[in-house]
Amino acid sequence: MELLPQAIVDGILIGGIYITIAIGFSLAYGVMHIIDFAVGEWIMLGAFTGYYLNLWSHIDPMLLLPVVFIVFGIVGYLIQPLIHRVISGKKGNPVLMGLVFTFGLALVFRGSGLTVFGFYSHSIPAALARNSFFIESGNFFLTIPHIRFTGLFYAILITVILQYILKSTDFGRAVRALAQHREAAGLMGIDARRISSYVYGIYVGISAMTGVLIGCIFSITAQMGGEYTVLAFFVVVLAGMGYLAGVPWAAFLLGLVQSFFMIYFNPSYTLLAVFVILFTILLISPRGLFGKGV
Amino acid sequence: MTTTHRKPFIAGIAVLVLAALPVFIHDTFFLRVLTESIMWIGLAIAWDVLAGYTGYLNFGHGAFFGAGAYITAFLIKFVGAPFLLAMPAGGLAAALLAFISGIPTLRLKGAYFAIATWAMARALQQLALVLDITGGPDGMRLPPYLHPQFFYYVMLVLVAGTFALMWYLLEHAPFGLKVKAIREDEAGAMSLGIHPTVIKMQAYLLSTVPAGLIGGVYAYWITYIDPASVLGDLVTDQAVVMAVFGGLGTLIGPIIGAVIIYFFKTLFWAYLSDYQVLYLIILGILIAMSVVFLPNGLYGTLTGRTSGKAAIERGLAIETKAKTKEAAHG
Repeated sequence: MELLPQAIVDGILIGGIYITIAIGFSLAYGVMHIIDFAVGEWIMLGAFTGYYLNLWSHIDPMLLLPVVFIVFGIVGYLIQPLIHRVISGKKGNPVLMGLVFTFGLALVFRGSGLTVFGFYSHSIPAALARNSFFIESGNFFLTIPHIRFTGLFYAILITVILQYILKSTDFGRAVRALAQHREAAGLMGIDARRISSYVYGIYVGISAMTGVLIGCIFSITAQMGGEYTVLAFFVVVLAGMGYLAGVPWAAFLLGLVQSFFMIYFNPSYTLLAVFVILFTILLISPRGLFGKGV
Repeated sequence: MTTTHRKPFIAGIAVLVLAALPVFIHDTFFLRVLTESIMWIGLAIAWDVLAGYTGYLNFGHGAFFGAGAYITAFLIKFVGAPFLLAMPAGGLAAALLAFISGIPTLRLKGAYFAIATWAMARALQQLALVLDITGGPDGMRLPPYLHPQFFYYVMLVLVAGTFALMWYLLEHAPFGLKVKAIREDEAGAMSLGIHPTVIKMQAYLLSTVPAGLIGGVYAYWITYIDPASVLGDLVTDQAVVMAVFGGLGTLIGPIIGAVIIYFFKTLFWAYLSDYQVLYLIILGILIAMSVVFLPNGLYGTLTGRTSGKAAIERGLAIETKAKTKEAAHG
């Protein structure tokens, strides 16, 4: 019984991280209609970039987040034209070719990661990771590590900023128009290629930043990508593909599932449970919990 | 008419040559390389039947291979079943897996299917890692049956049979036309009375059951399986790159892709010590580059055969020509 509040709080804190994993991904899907199999690999690359930057400069990883965002934003912006070329090709089935392309990209990143970073696991030392909040009264007991709390804060911050940009700026309106109807948006003078490049850049930047955060909370290895790709898929399908407002709820749900499995069952069955839920959702309501996916 | 008769003839000769090879080759290593390249041809064709012909990308192909391998190994080791009974059970396991994963996802867009199959492969690997009966990360050892020729012939018969069945169904029987109709225009196909989900499910079974059977042969042949080798990503990655590089939507393309890539893999394995990681990079670059620069694959680019709308348009043009000719004569 004493474990229950801790399980719920842990779940919500972990769920926060999953929001940031999935929100950029969902945005990119909404605009480009392409699933990026490399999402976990972007997280891995971002995490290692943070790790080495910290090792080299000794700046706290929390302060390195914007640097990682900018670096990977540029990388994503530069890679997007290749994806655009694939998905707008005249031959074959462009959308599926896009899938195959990102699948190949993921392989390249994973292989390169293993070559450059090796098989060992690391963690990024953050000053915030040392302390926790303790809440205690009688046999009621809660531990909230500062760093996890910061993760949740960061996730909410990103979500709010993204929502603001999408709702209230011209750029955001263009992005939403593109997601709604590509041709019509093009007729209104929206440059689909440029906007898609920005969106992909933002998505890659957010994913890479999340990688740094994950590196501070958990540990990082060059093979971590696959696990986070599964989690990103899970959240996005649960939320409804391309439906941004559903992402936080789906992410918190995933966090709760994970923390309950961690505390009450066998943690190695978490991935199986995730899969079973994913499957049930696809069977019952393929457009997500809210039925608003595309 | 000659072309339709020439193709099976060439294929028959190729199979006969392959069947005669072990008589001349006594080197076990070389025979093993040959067996494995035939295995990869089978896996690549099987993947392509779904991806190239229906447009649904199965990123969990390795799961079917692995399920077949594990079920066969399980039946041989714990039940004592003879190999020739255990192997079809591996195929059945793959079929079951296809039903479970196909029923919810095949009626949705391809993106969902890709996600679901990929996640399923991960889940299955995780399951094999945590269960006691599969030996966890240590894998399973089988009673060895050291007869390389036997496995060579089993693999050859299996893959040649698969190829013949697929060729008949997809290029000769109405089934192939239905499959292609769904790929090009699902709504249009439905209006002609084709049930897309049923046809896609059949194509999915046609793609996954051979993978399960091949997995079964592999398990008994290698005599040692573990989650990393048979349920890992590499099986899927390799089948995908072979089919995409060779040419999606054709039956010859994946064969070419499989032979070339398997040859490279063997060279790599022989000359580089830490080949596995580098090999991953090369596979990835090959996939990405062939998608960007060779969207029709090697075979499609070299012969001008395409899988997409261009082929249908060309086919229509030929048909119209024939009809006008007919009309002129009649």
